[in-house]
This record gives sequence, structure tokens and C-alpha cells, in this order.
Amino acid sequence: MDGHEVNPCIDIQDLFKTFVKGRKEVRALANFSLAVPDAQFVCLLGPSGCGKTTVLRILAGLETKSGGMVKVKGREVSRAGSDRGMVFQEFALFPWRTVRKNIEFGLEIRNMPETERRKLSSKYIDLVGLGGFEDAHPKELSGGMKQRVGIARALANEPAVLLMDEPFGSLDAQTRNLMQKELLRIWSATRKTILFVTHSVDEAVFLADRIVVMTARPGKVREDIAVDLPRPRDRTSSDFISVRGRVLAELDEEFEKARAKELSPD
Amino acid sequence: MTNDPLKALNKKLKDNWTQYLLAVISIAVFIAAWHLYAAYLHENDSGYQGYIPYPLDVAEALVDSFRYEDPNLGLTMFDHIAASLERILLGFVIAIVIAVPLGLLMGTFRKADAVGRPIVELIRPIPPLAWIPIFIVVLGMLWGPVAIVALGIFFPVLLNVMFGVRSVEPTLMDAAKTLGANRSQMFLKVVLPFTTPYLMTGVKVGLGIGWMCIVAAEMVGNYGGGVGYFIKDTADVGAFEYMYAGMIVIGLLGILTTGVAGLIEGRLSRWMGMK
Ligand SMILES: Nc1ncnc2c1ncn2[C@@H]1O[C@H](COP(=O)(O)OP(=O)(O)OP(=O)(O)O)[C@@H](O)[C@H]1O
Ligand SMILES: [Mg+2]
Repeated sequence: MDGHEVNPCIDIQDLFKTFVKGRKEVRALANFSLAVPDAQFVCLLGPSGCGKTTVLRILAGLETKSGGMVKVKGREVSRAGSDRGMVFQEFALFPWRTVRKNIEFGLEIRNMPETERRKLSSKYIDLVGLGGFEDAHPKELSGGMKQRVGIARALANEPAVLLMDEPFGSLDAQTRNLMQKELLRIWSATRKTILFVTHSVDEAVFLADRIVVMTARPGKVREDIAVDLPRPRDRTSSDFISVRGRVLAELDEEFEKARAKELSPD
Repeated sequence: MTNDPLKALNKKLKDNWTQYLLAVISIAVFIAAWHLYAAYLHENDSGYQGYIPYPLDVAEALVDSFRYEDPNLGLTMFDHIAASLERILLGFVIAIVIAVPLGLLMGTFRKADAVGRPIVELIRPIPPLAWIPIFIVVLGMLWGPVAIVALGIFFPVLLNVMFGVRSVEPTLMDAAKTLGANRSQMFLKVVLPFTTPYLMTGVKVGLGIGWMCIVAAEMVGNYGGGVGYFIKDTADVGAFEYMYAGMIVIGLLGILTTGVAGLIEGRLSRWMGMK
């Protein structure tokens, strides 16, 4: 678990990212390194603006890196591709497509024949629990249902990794808890490698095999915490609370640093 | 407030009923006031009574205009409507064929926008009617008026399509990218469907303008009938009840075309799950 596996699924070494906006430069990431083995569930935590989304977007190929090495399944990432699926906080569903057609989007792109497409979309509709909603449009669905579509759509492409950027961030507390359990079920059924960004320490401790806490901007790994609690996890257990306390302390310190930096800009 | 669907439906029906009732009352009051005013002018022999005929006389003229050919061109109102509709339809098709690709192009590429925008901004403020003299001379009796209508419909369609392309949510593009779409697939499967409701809004607005253009164009020349021509022609010979009948036809046709476009727009958006 120390990131020195022989063949990590995600392999990031000394990643740099600087955004240039006119004359202003924003150093979002510096010396960010992370190796994630196959089928591991990793949660990425850090103060706001520390570069979590940037890490995911570079992995997804939606953003270019400024330096360093980013490999997925041994292949250097250069552009977006269906081997990396992304799930967005705003769901990003195509409003004119039904649930089924949303899920089949990536399959259409690959020109998969219709019968095969149907079979695959049906499989993932069942997996995420969307049976009976195949012909509904996104606007008819609740937030939790929408994100089920988002997850199924990403999974239908059968990617090696699932990149999730605060996927439950806009859901109410109850739905969020339910979706966390659902995601764990889906994860154990598919054994995907998951990189999951969240602001909720509670969510991270409930979900992750491993929690990576980032420093304030420019972001790098501050602390790599293994969560060796058996699943299903009990949020009220003393072990859970002690892990949560540890992560929270790390995060608080970085948060204070970020705030201090904000008050005295360099 | 209430979750009872039957109650909600009843309320909706009631709302619709009062709405229709009010509309009928409002029109009835308008016609009654018109009638009283006409009667007042006639009784006082004010000299203006010819300009304000009785509503009933206008209604009769309206019916007659469909039944009999006018003495001037030998055309019934059906023929006039057909002539105007033909011009609108041709103008509409031409406007769409040019405005949609151009709007997509200018909405997608900054360079295309930089090239096209100055010309668009230069021509847009000129009322389409200002082109009548030159268009009639250069393009002739059929395509001249058609070109004027096309010009009127062109800009709202162009601008709405451009706006639609610009409004495509970046996260949708990101999602398509991560699902493996290339640039042309993103255009076909994200930009085009996203822009369709915007196009329909442009069409609705454009058709309204198109009617104004065609009536006005037909009033300044005779290109073989048309409702605008009918209005001008009947006014010239002092047959004002017929003139009003023509105006009513124009109004109804305008409501009909934009109404149909609006209906299609609504249906399409709903069918596409966007409203
Ligand atoms: N396209 C961009 N152009 C310029 N600056 C950017 C861009 N995208 C991100 N940034 C900056 O890079 C830094 C990291 O952004 P990022 O979105 O990765 O942070 P984050 O950790 O995801 O934040 P949050 O927790 O608020 O989601 C921020 O300071 C942000 O302002
Ligand atoms: Mg973010």
C-alpha cells in the first residue's frame, strides 16, 4: 500500500500543473505523486482549490499536464479515452437522451451494433438499480437516480478506472448515505480502480481503502492513510471515529495553512 | 399545495375555463365598442363613417373575399393567401439553409465569428424592407419579395443558433470526451441536439418577422396578388370593409404560423426532455 507496486493501475510521478491566465500563473499541482494498484478504492481529500479536480481532469485527459508522468495501465495519458471513466458532480447527463440512451452514449461512439449495445446497457441498468427507468429523461429523475445514470454511463464503457469528482456532493444526506452503500456494492461487483474526490471526511472513511490527503495549493500528497476497517463499516464504531479524527486533524492543519496563505498572498 | 392529482386537474381545467371566458369577453367587448363607435359616426354623418365600417359588414366582406374573385386581379382570398404563403415558405427555406450552417460555424469557431460578425452587425439594423427597390429590380417579381422575407427570418435564426452553440454546457462536452467521442462526434451528438431548441426559438421569432416583411413588401408593388396587396388594393378603391377583412386574415395567419412553430418548439423540447 506504499505506492511502490510493480504494476500500479494509476501511476503518477512528480506531476506539475500550472494554469496560465494572461499574465497570471496559478500553480495548482507540484510534485504530486500517487500510485494506485488495481481494484483499490482511493479517496482524495484536501482543502478547497488544492488541485483535486485538476488531478482527475489530467487523468481523464481533459487537461494537459505541465510536467511529470501520468500513466494508466502502463500507458502514458495524453488525451481523453474510454479506458478512463469520469463521473461528475453536476451529473453531466445529456438531457435529450433517455436513461438508456445516456448509458449507451459511449457504445454508440464505438459503433457497437444495437443488439450488443442493448445487452450491455441493460446489464448496467440492472447493476446500478435503474430498472423501470430506462425510458425516462434525466429531468424526471431525482439527484440520486441521476448519479446512478452517471455511474452506469461511465461503467458501460468498461474502463479500467473510475474517476469520481464529488459525485454525491449535491445530494441530500440520506440519499448520499444510500449512494455510498450502492457505490460499494457496484465496486465489489465490478472491481474497478476508483479515485474518488470528496470534501466529506466521513464519506472518505466510509468508502476508501486508502485516503490521500493533499496539501494546500500547489497540491501534493501530504498524508497517505490506509483504512483497514472491515466492511460494511459502522460510522459509530470507535475505530471509525478514530480514523476520522486522524484524517480530520490532517485536513484542519492544511486548511489553516491555506487560509493563512490566502490572507497573505505571495 | 395539494397533492391530489384530481384536484390539481380540476383546478387547471377551471383556470383554463376562466382564461377562455375572459378572452371571449374581451373580444366581445372590443367588437361591441367598435360597433358603437361606427354607429356613432354613421348617425352623426361625420364624414369618417366610410373609414370605420360596422364589424358585421367587415365580417360579410371577409366571407365574400373568399367566395368571389376581386375585380382587379380576378383572385379570391384563397389565391392571395396562397401567394403570400408561397413567398413566406420559399423565404423561410432559403433563410434556414443559409442561417443554420452559418450559425453553427460562427458559434463554433472564433475566427468565423470574427469574420462574419462585422457583416452581420452592419446589415442587421437595416429594415429588410429597405431592400425592396433593389431586390425587385435585380431579383424580379418572385425572388425579390422572397429575398426580403428570407432576410427577415435569417437574423433571428442565425443569432439563436449561434447562441445555442455557445450555450452548450462545458461539462457535457467533457462527459462526451471522456466517453470517447472525437470532435465530429461531439458536434453531431452534443452540439447539434443541444442547439435544436434554440433553432426552433429562432424559427418562431423569424416567422413573425417574415409575415411583417411579406405584407409590407406586397403593399408597395404588385407581384401577382398576396394578402398585403389585397389590403393596399382595396384601400385604394375605398372598399374599407375589405381592407379590414384583409388585415384580419393577416393577423390570423400570423397567429397560426407562429402558433404552429411554438407548438412544434414545445413538443420538440419536451420530446427531447429539455423542458
Ligand atoms: N481552467 C483553469 N484556469 C485557471 N485556473 C484554474 C483552472 N482550473 C483550476 N484552476 C485553479 O487551480 C487550482 C486548483 O483547482 P481545482 O479545481 O483542481 O481544485 P479542487 O481541489 O478541485 O477545489 P475544490 O475542492 O473547490 O473543488 C485552483 O486555485 C483553481 O482556481
Ligand atoms: Mg474540485
